[in-house]
Order: sequence, then structure tokens, then C-alpha cells
Amino acid sequence: MTGYVLRRLLQLLPVLLLASLGVWAMVFAVPGSPVGALVGENATPEQIRETVARLGLDRPVLEQYWFWLLSALHGDLGLSIQSREPVAMLIAERIPATIQLGLSSTIVGLVFGIPVAIISALSPRGWLDRALSGWSALALGVPTFWLGILLILLFAVTLNWLPSVSAFVPVWLDPWGAVVNTLLPALTLGIYVSGIFARFLRAALLGELKADYVRTARSKGLRERDVIGRHVMRNALLPFVTVVGLMTASFIGGTVVTEAVFTYPGIGRLLIQAIDARDYPLIQGCIMFILVIYVLMNVMVDVLYAYIDPRIDYG
Amino acid sequence: MIALRYPGAFLGVTFLAVLLLASFVAPVLFDLDPLAQDLAAALDPPNAEHWFGADELGRDILARVIAGARTSLVTAGGAVLIAGAIGVPIGLVAGFFGGWRDAVLMRIVDVLLALPNILFAMALIAVLGRSQGAALVAVGITGIPSFARITRAQVLSLRSRDFVVAVEAMGGSAGYAMFRTVLPNAWSPILVQVVILSSVAILLEAALAFLGVGIPPPAPSWGEMLRTGKSYLYEAPTYAVLPGLVLTLTILSLDTLGRTLARILEDRADHAGDAA
Amino acid sequence: MSPTSSGGAAPPDAPVLSVRDLAVSFGAGRVVRGIDFDVFPGEVLGIVGESGSGKSVTALAISGLLDASANVSGSVRFAGLEITTANPEDLRHMRGVDVGMIFQDPTTTLNPVLTIGRQVTEGQVAHRLISAEAADAQAEALLREVDIPDPAARIGQFPHQFSGGMRQRAVIAMAMAGHKKLIIADEPTTALDVTVQAQVLAVLARRRAETGAAVILITHDLGVVAEVADRVAVMYAGRIVETGTVDAIFRTPRHPYTSGLLRSLPRLDTVAERLQPIDGQPPIASRLPSGCAFHPRCAIGRERPECQTEPVLRDIAPGASVACHFPQSEAATLPARIASEARGARGAPLLEIEDLRVHFPIRSRLLRRRIGWVRAVDGVNLTVHAGETVGLVGESGCGKTTTGRAIMGLLPASGGRIRFDGEDITGLPRSELRRIRRQMQYVFQDPFASLNPIRTAGEIVAEPLRIHGLYDQMGGDIYIGGLFEKVGLSAAMMGRLPRQFSGGQKQRIGIARALALQPRLLILDEPVAALDVSIQAQIVNLLQDLQRELGLAYLFVAHDLSVVRHICDRVAVMYLGRIVEESTRDALYATPVHPYTQSLLSAVPLPDPALRNARRRIVLRGEIPSPARPPTGCTFHPRCFRATARCAAEAPVFASYPGLPSSVACHFPGAAE
Repeated sequence: MTGYVLRRLLQLLPVLLLASLGVWAMVFAVPGSPVGALVGENATPEQIRETVARLGLDRPVLEQYWFWLLSALHGDLGLSIQSREPVAMLIAERIPATIQLGLSSTIVGLVFGIPVAIISALSPRGWLDRALSGWSALALGVPTFWLGILLILLFAVTLNWLPSVSAFVPVWLDPWGAVVNTLLPALTLGIYVSGIFARFLRAALLGELKADYVRTARSKGLRERDVIGRHVMRNALLPFVTVVGLMTASFIGGTVVTEAVFTYPGIGRLLIQAIDARDYPLIQGCIMFILVIYVLMNVMVDVLYAYIDPRIDYG
Repeated sequence: MIALRYPGAFLGVTFLAVLLLASFVAPVLFDLDPLAQDLAAALDPPNAEHWFGADELGRDILARVIAGARTSLVTAGGAVLIAGAIGVPIGLVAGFFGGWRDAVLMRIVDVLLALPNILFAMALIAVLGRSQGAALVAVGITGIPSFARITRAQVLSLRSRDFVVAVEAMGGSAGYAMFRTVLPNAWSPILVQVVILSSVAILLEAALAFLGVGIPPPAPSWGEMLRTGKSYLYEAPTYAVLPGLVLTLTILSLDTLGRTLARILEDRADHAGDAA
Repeated sequence: MSPTSSGGAAPPDAPVLSVRDLAVSFGAGRVVRGIDFDVFPGEVLGIVGESGSGKSVTALAISGLLDASANVSGSVRFAGLEITTANPEDLRHMRGVDVGMIFQDPTTTLNPVLTIGRQVTEGQVAHRLISAEAADAQAEALLREVDIPDPAARIGQFPHQFSGGMRQRAVIAMAMAGHKKLIIADEPTTALDVTVQAQVLAVLARRRAETGAAVILITHDLGVVAEVADRVAVMYAGRIVETGTVDAIFRTPRHPYTSGLLRSLPRLDTVAERLQPIDGQPPIASRLPSGCAFHPRCAIGRERPECQTEPVLRDIAPGASVACHFPQSEAATLPARIASEARGARGAPLLEIEDLRVHFPIRSRLLRRRIGWVRAVDGVNLTVHAGETVGLVGESGCGKTTTGRAIMGLLPASGGRIRFDGEDITGLPRSELRRIRRQMQYVFQDPFASLNPIRTAGEIVAEPLRIHGLYDQMGGDIYIGGLFEKVGLSAAMMGRLPRQFSGGQKQRIGIARALALQPRLLILDEPVAALDVSIQAQIVNLLQDLQRELGLAYLFVAHDLSVVRHICDRVAVMYLGRIVEESTRDALYATPVHPYTQSLLSAVPLPDPALRNARRRIVLRGEIPSPARPPTGCTFHPRCFRATARCAAEAPVFASYPGLPSSVACHFPGAAE
């Protein structure tokens, strides 16, 4: 199993390298000089000299990339132009907030999505299925940022139950405060996630229910709930996990947007602030970080798939 | 009859038709200036004069929604065109020839997929600067992988089918097999993808504007209106709600249309095996 | 109907299962239209019919497994339980305890993500027939009973680790676990090769004898029915048209459809000059003809006014009933089989293949390094003369299709020579191959897959001409229309799309397309394997007529030894990428000298119940090994009944056998005792 994980990571290495090349090359595409992009317009000559020396900006281009990659691998992503603080530190500060949002919305998504999928699949094209499918179409179709605004209007503006701007309150320090602050963003993103689960798990279940082995299982006189629970579910997880893997991208995108709606202090908001301020070292750092997270999530999905499917030999 | 069998898609098509008509014909017939300011009417709720109310500068929100529809549809259309024009040939060549061409092309596509598309677009705009062109190109590039992958998968499954092998057995060239035999049979999923990607593109364009990296103001755009409207939730709740509603209906319409189309084409493929 | 029988087992009085006036419809499609039959303890009832006859739906209706979209009426009584109206709990109990089911395709009937052991016993565990703790031991015992080697290790494996034959044996183990009263087997061996089919039928028969269960065997294969069944019910268009003992059905078929089916069947034991197909196409459930559903195809009924009313199934002799206004009475209706001599006269060699090899690389997943070769074709020698038909037969995976495709240049040859009309065409560039391809055309197995679904039939047939720029030169639409007539289609059908044709008609289009360039050689890749028996005979006759008329040479690639015997002049038998025996048709079928040929021929079920116990059967061990890891020496030795140490060490050469026109690759060739 470990070998399989390592092999998958190894396969993704070229993609990561190429993508990092793109991220690094960003500063060359920006109007003006790359040094200017990296230190800002108000930098002192000394700062410029220091940056040029640190990143080897007077060396040949490929060597510069190598320099940048090496220092990035050592956790040195440079200094933010705005705050003059290390980019790595700025990112590290935001990680817990984003993780708390990501996990809580995943929980919301699972709690709403899985039962909906199962109930729909049990009576395909019946009235309940139609109603629930309509609901999942809404969950997927309503833009996250508009849904967030509607929830703020209802719970903050009209009912005044919850804050309209969500601060990050760590759940391990103040559980109640965390719930109050995280509930609306988690609900916003979680409804979207539940739409993914509901629609694609339903489709996977329906696909599997047509399979011959289901008829075999029924011919053995199994209870319908065992046919679903033991036979269909595990097979349906395979196409479903694939889709979930493909949807991790929109989940990350949704996190960025949700953080913006609730001015929630996560990585996504940091990136938006960086783009606003044309803080290129910070932009590069945020994107590289998200890239790595995204790749790791995909490896996790692959490993999960291999774990469920005995036909994949990961020895 | 089709309307009765697929009521969702029928409603969707109707809404999209009204939207298209409104955004391209209405400005010609009526006096709808999305930029005309009337500070006295600032943040007015919906009324007889301003059906959707007025924004913080007293501009008519309905006029801005209609103008925003134009921005949105043009950006989405252009983006889908870019994505299809690049993605479909990539998928066709990769799937048909396989081997090193497939490996190289798909590796490029993987790199495009290495970032969630909204981040890719943001990074690109961070470099290119904010403009409608930049948004269009950014959204378009993020759509290339899905066209490439869907075309490739379709071509790959057709490639080994006997009727394609038969072309080779008759002495047909690779070009003949690819363009005259495989491609004409590969259209249905690509068509579905055009519809689905249109809705993705509209959403993405709006999200970029909402995040403040899309088309720069004062040009009207749905995302930008939501972004500004969010600051006036207490004073004028309809400001953010109504443009968002139009955006949502557009996306839902395209989504329903896409899924209905997929179902119709799937049913047709299922029946293709029936004897007469 | 008086269900007394004089079949193999003498049934006691009370039937296990009674079906009365059972009808099943899906929307407008009346798939089963009022059928009656009984099944008695210990007997095997064969239900025979072509595709669309309603036989599989009948099986599902009996077990209550039809889904909610089916409308069921009538009565199905099993051990006091009315299945059509039973509540789900009772049905569940019936299926778990009393009835076992075996389905057609063992690759899909088992759940890919659960272990075999668990799947074999979970029905019994669910019904508390055995405890969960005892399940492993029970699974092991059950697998042992169906001859699966090393069952202790096998119970922990997944279906993809089993071969096709082993999977089906596991399914049999599962279906027959416990004390089942009735086994419903729906095409249980259709997906299997003939030597594996023989193994599985043997296991099924032994387990049936051990458990004393009654069996309903549903199949399209008359040979399997003749071999296994005690009584037979023949279905057509959702009705039972005839029932009787297996002997009566095969010796004195009463219904014109039954006798038509038997006449249209090519036989392994004799050769008829010409098959007698049933005209027309089987009807579709939603568009049935009025009156007797068979009358438009019937040689006796046709325009007779009586046939405008649907005949009821009535007793005609003890244990025999028929649904026909004009049942036939005597065996005389079956024509005597006239043995025909294979044509000995040969033209010049047209296609010569020397030591052809097609190897595919096996690559590692990570770095795509080559880690081995699949030797799909490994040294094939074959000659086809002008105007003759050479059969290339073998079981799945033997490389026969790969050979055909390599000859066409659709797959690159890894070694050897292919000569066409004296010219070496191995590895010719594409432009040169184009020229050769005018002379040599290919007909595919699956008529559904080989026609471009979005072109009209006329365009499809004209396509080779357009590719070669010969369309106008050859006479355009008039020429295409002529081709349509030549293959028995109307030129008026040229504007239709492939999906508007039936399977047999599609294959006619495929043949017309192959003829368009006026080739001299057709490579026919299982051209009738996907078709029903009655349609198969039409196509076989068409091919023979075309050959006579146009002087074509055929390379006929097939797995069905009966069809090959009927159509071929010479036959080559392939096993694991090599030809093991080649001879004239009559010599090969009369005196096969390779042990594999002998077992292959003995494994084919014959549609003649009288031969059931008279034939000596050779049931081979094991299944075909993977061509990626072929056995050492003679590749057949692990399964061979004559193998010695020499066979494992040394590969035999392909040499002529004295006294016969045969060549054989075997250390110990010789006629079977």
C-alpha cells in the first residue's frame, strides 16, 4: 500500500513541477520587471539588491527557477511585499481556519447528501426522487456566493441570530463561538457539497442497481437493505469516488469564494487580498500551497479507490 | 410534445430565450442606460420606475442586470468557443493516435487541471490585469481540459469499434477514419459539454467579478453587482438578491438543459440497438 | 394439458412448480403471452427459444425477480406459494431456501468487490441455514463439490482472480447450496467455451443427481437441450408452441417451428447439402403478427384462414402438446440428411501464410517498460486456394481472430510471411496495402458494431468504393442497388439507417460492403456467431451461394464446429496461437488425430438425444492458459490425456500424418480408440 501511494505521488511529480514552473514564470509575464513584481514599487535599492541576490535574479533563467524551487522546498517562499513578513508564515497562520471550514462543510455535505442519494436511488423517477433531485440541482446550481448572501440576509440581517461576518474561532478553544461563527459559511459550502454527494452517489447507485450481480444477490433471498448495503453500496462507491476526486477542484474553488462572502480569514481570502495588492510573492506562495493540497487530495482519492476495489493491485 | 416530456428543459429554454432577447433586443427598443446615474434614487427599493430598484449611485439595477447578461453571455460564449476550438482537436488527436501524442497532449491537459479552475483564472488575471478579454481567455483556458478529456474518451471508445476498424480494412486513410467516421459519431457528448461548460463559464465569470478580479467597473456585470450589493444588505436587500436570482436561473436553466440533452442522447443511443 | 412424462426420470405425481396462463408485459410489449407448464421433482425441463421468445423473462417471473415495470398476470405456484402475489418476505424465503438460480454471464453475475467464499454462502447465512462461523468451512466444501482446486485458498479470492469456467462453477455451487427443490438455469453455458461448457454441464448434472433438485434449463442451444433435458418446452413469440419428451421433440417435432429449427441447424455428425432456414425474422413483442404469431414464417400455415386465429396448446399424444392448427404427425417431415463430399478441386494458392507471429508487448504500469509478450499468434502456417473455404477454428483466446486481422494488415505481424496471389504483402506501406485490400475484404462478427450508426445502408455499402475513388466507375447507385439484391435485401432499403435493420439484415449489409470492391478473398470473422439459429442458416446459405456465383475464396474464422463442418472444404484447428491440426473437412471430422481436436469434437453437444449415452466423451482438465505465460513444450500438455514428460519438454513440429490428408503438431498423434 505504501508503495502504491509513493508511486502515485511519483507519477504526479512531473505535473507538479510543470505547474510550479508556471507559477514561478508568472512574475515574468507581469508588465514591468520581475524584480519590481517581487519587491513592490516602493522598495528601497537595498531591498532590491537583497532580493536579486537571494533569488539569483542575475543568473540564467533556469538557474533562477532552480533557486526558487529549492528555497520553496525549504519552506522559504519569500517576503510579502505588503507586510514584509515571510509568505510561509502568513500562509501557516491561515491554515487552521481553512481546515476548520473545509471539514465542517464536508460534514454538512455528508449529513445532507448521502441520505438524499440513497432515498432517491431506492425509488428512481418517483415523486420523492424528483423532489430530491430538484433539491440537489438547486444545491449544485445556486452560486455559492449568492446562497451565502441569502443566508446572511435571513440569519444575520432579518433574524439577527448569527454574525454576518465570520471570524475564525478555533473549535478547540471555544466550541460554541466556533459554531456561531462557522455555521453560516459551513452551511453555504456544505449545501454545495451535499449536492455533489446527492447527485453523483445517486447516479452511481442507480448504475449499479442495474448490474447482474444485484439480481444474483436478490436470487439468494437477501433482504433488500442487505442487497443495497452489502452489494450495491461498495460498488457504487467506485464511480462515486472518481467523481469526488474530480470535484475536489470545485470544492477548493468554493472555499475561496465562501471565505470571500463571509470575510472569513482563510487561505482563499489571503490570496484575494494578495491579488488586490499585486503582492506577487504572496500570490505565488498561496497558489503553490493550494496546488500541493489539491494534488494530495487527489492522491488520497486514488488510494481510497484502490482500497475499495480489489481488482487494483497496489502491491 | 417535447415541452411536456421535458418540462424542466422547456422552462430552461424559455428563460434563456427571454434572457437573450432582453439582453440583445431590449436595449434597442427601450431606454435602458446601465450607466445613467440618479443620485436621488440611490438604493431605492423596487418601484414603478426602477423595477429592480436602484444601486448606490442611483443606476437602474434592471438595466444593469440586462447589460450584465450581455457581458456574461458574450464572455461565456467566447470562452466555450476557445475551450472547444483547442480542447476538441487535442482530444481527437490524443484519442485517435494514442502513443506519444496521447502522452504529451494529456500531460499538458493534466497541468491545466493541476489548479482548480477559479484559481487558475485568478492567477492568469493577476498577470494579465483585469479586463473582459482577460476574463474570457482565463475562463476559456480552464475549459480546455474538459473538452479534451471528453473528446478523447469518446474517440477512444469509438476507435476500437468494428465500424472504425472496417474503414481501415476497406483501405481508408487515418484522416478519413478520424474526420469522416469517428468525429461525426463523437458529437453528442461534446454538444452536452458545450451546454454544461456554458453554465460553468457564466458561474466562473460571475465568481471572478464577485471576488473583485473579473471585468472592472463601471462595466455592469452580475458578479460585480453582487459584490457591491453585499455591502448594502441592510439598506437595500433586493440589490444583491435580484441580480443573483437572474444569475442562478441562468445557471439552473443551462444545467437542466444540459442534463436533459444528455438523457435524450443516451436514450437514443440505447434504442439504436433495436431492430426495426 | 396432462403433464405426464416418459423422460429420463419418472416423476412422482405432484409438481414442484405449476405455471398457469402466465403473462408478462412491459408497456406495449407482450413478452410472455399465457403459458402453462409443470416441473416435477428430479426432472430437467428444457425451455428452448430464440432471442425475444420470452424464455428469460419467464425465468425471472417464476422467481419473482421481475422489476416493478413488468405487468404480471396468471399463476405461478411453487410448493404451495403463489409467487405472483406473494409478499416480499415469503419470496425471499423461497429464493433463499428452496430455489437456486444460475445466470448466463459469470463475469457479471458475481459481485466484483466481495470474496467468492462470502458470496457462495451469504444466502445460507442470511436464512440462518448455517452460522456465520461455519460459513468459511461450508464455502470450502461447496467449492470442492464443483471441482474447484484448492478451495481453502480460493474462498478468500475475488471473482477477477477466477477463470470464466471457475466462476460459473462457483455460481453453481452458490445456487445449489443447501437442499434446493428447484434450480433455474438461464443460458448457464452460453458464455463459455465448448470444452469448458462440457465441464460445467458435467458438474451441473452431478450436483443435480446428488441433490435431487428439479431443474429448469433455459437455452437457445438445441444441442445442450438434447444432452441434458428430460422434457422440452419450445417457446416462440411469448408462447409455448410445443412440449414433449426430449426424444419426441427431436424425433417427431409436431410444430412447424420446431421442425424448422431442427432443419436449419448445421450438424456436427452429418453434412447436408444445404440448410433449410426459416424465412423472415422473429417478431418483436410490441408488433406481433395477428393470429398465430408464427404464420408469416410458416411453410404450412401461410395464407390458410385457420392461422388467422391463435392456436391453443392442446394435448396431441401422451405427454406431448402442440399449439398449431396443422400439427405434423410423423418423423418423415425431417428430410434425410444427404452426406455431401467436400469439393476436392483446388485452384491456385491465393493466400499463403508462413510462420505468422503476432506478439503484443505487456507493459508495466508505471514506466511503460516492456515486461513480457502476449504470444497471440505464434507461428501459423496456412494456405487458402482460389475458390475454396478454409475454416480456422478454436476456442476464445486461441488467436484465430488475431490471425485474421493480421492477414488484413489491421494488426502488425511480428514475424513470418503473408503472400497474396504470389506477392509478399507483409509489412507493406499503407498505400500499397490499399491496392491489396481491393482483393481481400473482411466481414465482422458483430453486425451491430461493424456498421457506422449514422450512415445509411446505401452509404455504408458504397463507402469502400468512395474510399478507392471507384464509385462512379463501378456504376454508382445502380451498382449498389445490385449489391443489395445480391445479398437478399431490397434496393429500396438503401436509405435506411443501420438501427432500422435486424441482426441478420445487418450482416447482409456487412457482406454487401465486403463484396463492393469485387474481392477474391473474404475473411469472415465469426459471421454468424451473433445470430439466432434460424437466421444463421439464411446467412450460411447466402455465403455458399455467393461463393458459387462469384468464385470467392473464404477464410472462415469460427468457434462453432458444426457451422465449420457445414461450410468449409478444409479446416485448421488452433490452440494457444498455433495450428495443432489441419486437414480436409471429411478427414478431420471423421478421424481427428490430435488429442485436442478429439476432445473438442467430443465436447460439442449434439442435437440428438439418442446419442446422449452412446458417445464417448472426453472432458478436458482445466482451461486455456494465458498466451502471456504459455506452458513449456507442447502448449496443450497440461490438459492432454496422452501427455508424457516429453510433451512438457519439447514442442512438437507440425508434420503430415501418414495415411490421412492431415497435418498435426503432436508427439503422439493417432485416431481415438
